[in-house]
Amino acid sequence: MAVYGGAERSLLVIIFDVHPCQKIITNHQHRFHQVLEAVIAFSNGHLLMKPDNRLAIIGCHSGASDYIFSDKDYAVVPTGINDGQYELFAHVEKCIRKNIKQFLSKMSNNLPAGESLLAGACGMGLCYIQRMKRELPIGDKMNSRILVLTGSNDSASQYMNYMNVFFTAQKENVVMDVCTLEHDQGLLQQGCDITGGAYLKTPQQQGLLQYLMWVFLPEPPLRKKLVLPPPVKVDYRAACFCHRQLIDIGYVCSICLSIFCKFSPICTTCHALFKTPGPPPSKPKKKKPKM
Amino acid sequence: MVFLDSENDSSSASQSASRHSNVNNKVIDLEDSSANGILRHKALQCANLYEYLITLPEDVIDTLFSYPIICLAVYRDLPDIGKHYVMRVLFVEQPVPQAVIASWVGQEYSKEHTEVVEVLSKLKVWQEASIPGGLPAWALNITFKKNLKVAIFGGGSSWGCNPNMEADTKARDVEYLDKYAMERWECVLHYMVGSQQQEGISADAVRILLHAGLMKRDDDDGSPVITRDGFQFLLLDTPAQVWYFMLQYLDTVYARGMDLAQCLAFLFQLSFSILGKDYSTEGLSESLLTFLQHLREFGLVYQRKRKGGKFYPTRLALNMTRQKGKSEISSQEGFVIVESNYRVYAYTDSNLKVALIGLFTELLYRFPNMCVGTLTRDSVCMALRSGITSEQIIRFLTLHAHSLLVAKGGPVIPPTISDQIRLWEKERDRFNFTEGILYSQFLSHSDFSVLRDYASEQNCLIWHCDKRRTMVVTKQGHDDVKKFWKKHSKGPISNC
Repeated sequence: MAVYGGAERSLLVIIFDVHPCQKIITNHQHRFHQVLEAVIAFSNGHLLMKPDNRLAIIGCHSGASDYIFSDKDYAVVPTGINDGQYELFAHVEKCIRKNIKQFLSKMSNNLPAGESLLAGACGMGLCYIQRMKRELPIGDKMNSRILVLTGSNDSASQYMNYMNVFFTAQKENVVMDVCTLEHDQGLLQQGCDITGGAYLKTPQQQGLLQYLMWVFLPEPPLRKKLVLPPPVKVDYRAACFCHRQLIDIGYVCSICLSIFCKFSPICTTCHALFKTPGPPPSKPKKKKPKM
Repeated sequence: MVFLDSENDSSSASQSASRHSNVNNKVIDLEDSSANGILRHKALQCANLYEYLITLPEDVIDTLFSYPIICLAVYRDLPDIGKHYVMRVLFVEQPVPQAVIASWVGQEYSKEHTEVVEVLSKLKVWQEASIPGGLPAWALNITFKKNLKVAIFGGGSSWGCNPNMEADTKARDVEYLDKYAMERWECVLHYMVGSQQQEGISADAVRILLHAGLMKRDDDDGSPVITRDGFQFLLLDTPAQVWYFMLQYLDTVYARGMDLAQCLAFLFQLSFSILGKDYSTEGLSESLLTFLQHLREFGLVYQRKRKGGKFYPTRLALNMTRQKGKSEISSQEGFVIVESNYRVYAYTDSNLKVALIGLFTELLYRFPNMCVGTLTRDSVCMALRSGITSEQIIRFLTLHAHSLLVAKGGPVIPPTISDQIRLWEKERDRFNFTEGILYSQFLSHSDFSVLRDYASEQNCLIWHCDKRRTMVVTKQGHDDVKKFWKKHSKGPISNC
């Protein structure tokens, strides 16, 4: 029976930052384990909501991003342990544990310095969502969202990549949620604001699962009914293209809208030529009374 | 009391009503139940899981909650907000004040909150508790809480059937199982419409059909014939049919000496199992094995050999609890095309489907691979008379719409057609039934207008006619109006 237009499902892509330099991982020995447990429980919580809900997890660090759980893992293989847990959940748990172990063991000893490739992982997530949308049965609807879970520092080195991801997500109606464990992330905050997602910096790490369940488990259409933490004031500063620093006032290329903190005669992005800076802004004002 | 929509008609209705009230100064209470019964058909009630569970006694529900798999099914059936309520208090070890929970939802959705709270309390998922300080609070049912946690996180005791770990040498693939399940299920449906293929259905299945009221013994020769409910049943989609059928089956479980909770838990375990995987019958009790054989007959499970020790759940069993969101339903393709000229083309060679189409269309041609019918007023009214509703017809047509139509997007049935079908149904609904009390034979117009104005102020005036000085008041408002009238008239010439 071809059923049309009935099912509404929701796809959750979790971007899981496993960068070993995150303080919460290095400071406490068992903390990473706790975060992993929370992610697994939260994943199962999501699958529990609706029978058609889908899940993907992408792990990332500064060297690589890879799928921890994706549609390839959906063929449920019984675990052989019958302890009352729903077979699918047991399978998901086993898969995540296995794949994350594999992912971590593949991590080379000399990781490239720098922050986790969160923007790249988000891009992967968007591609994945796009593919899932294409493969959807005709007439079905799917709410997709990305949850970024990270404890990394805020940095603007991936500014361009982030912006591309955010605006693509906005165009594709993908909501981006961000849960940071340690530091406030200005850029990701902008992403949440642009795509209409929720942003939360967990006040304490012990109750991570409960925070996840409260704020990020309800799917976006339901969120307007529930009272959730109010949106924080977003820092909308842009990063300049030359030094990747957040600036309040800067120069913008009139051709391609690239942002620079200092004047340069040639736009590095589109190679447009500019004349030397025009008269300082005070001069025209002086001219006016003469006229 | 009978009323018609238009003004002219209503005066004639009041005439008939006032004729009854010829006895002086008497209020006539017209019972409408008989008229109601004739003109209003009860649509087939297909209860969902929630509606079914709240009919069960409390101790049975408690037993049910001791199975993690049932907790899971109940949880999935909760309204969306309710799911989050439960999730939020799942790890809270003490009762949560009701005011706190109420504050989780925005002001403008407080109505939904009340509904959700009612559902949760009716299902006994949570109970009222008090916390120090005397505030009313909600506490999750302990059994439910424990077993839902087990279902999500594991750590419980093993129950029910285990999947076979070693691969089956003659494993059946999903396609085969789908085909088998549909064959079995259609066998039952065929039997109901009285098609020729009547073999392969057991006396037990017939008994359930009779019990469910989908068929009844013919007055003449005692052979089962389809009833009005049966027709409606046929128009449901397959998962709804299976669920309805299983509910009826569960009704008879006590009589068979089986344990309801165990059967239900087993059923849900099937519905949460993996398609295309074989499960072992080891460790199942005698009564569950019998139950399994019944399920096998209806196509919910596949078993190569009765004593083979393994079985495969089919898609029928898997889809049972998902009433609303059905996505990956069986291999059956849509076959119906509805054109805006009221023609219905059905590409099928199955007698059953042709018979279903024939329920509400006038069949014109029959070809080996398709049949053509037209939706006419007569044919649709005939269907409506036999108890089918317009929604069921439209739903059937949409549900079985040809895949090309669905792929094209837009409305699957031309809006004119669906509107017309609804209008034809509306045609039959021109009567409104309201129970009421007739006040008549007022001595003066002022008396009448005082009482009329009072009644309309109280919002209990159903109908009035100034010329005849008659009015009809709702049953609820009757006492009030009567009291008022007694007070008003005081004198011995009271009208009531």
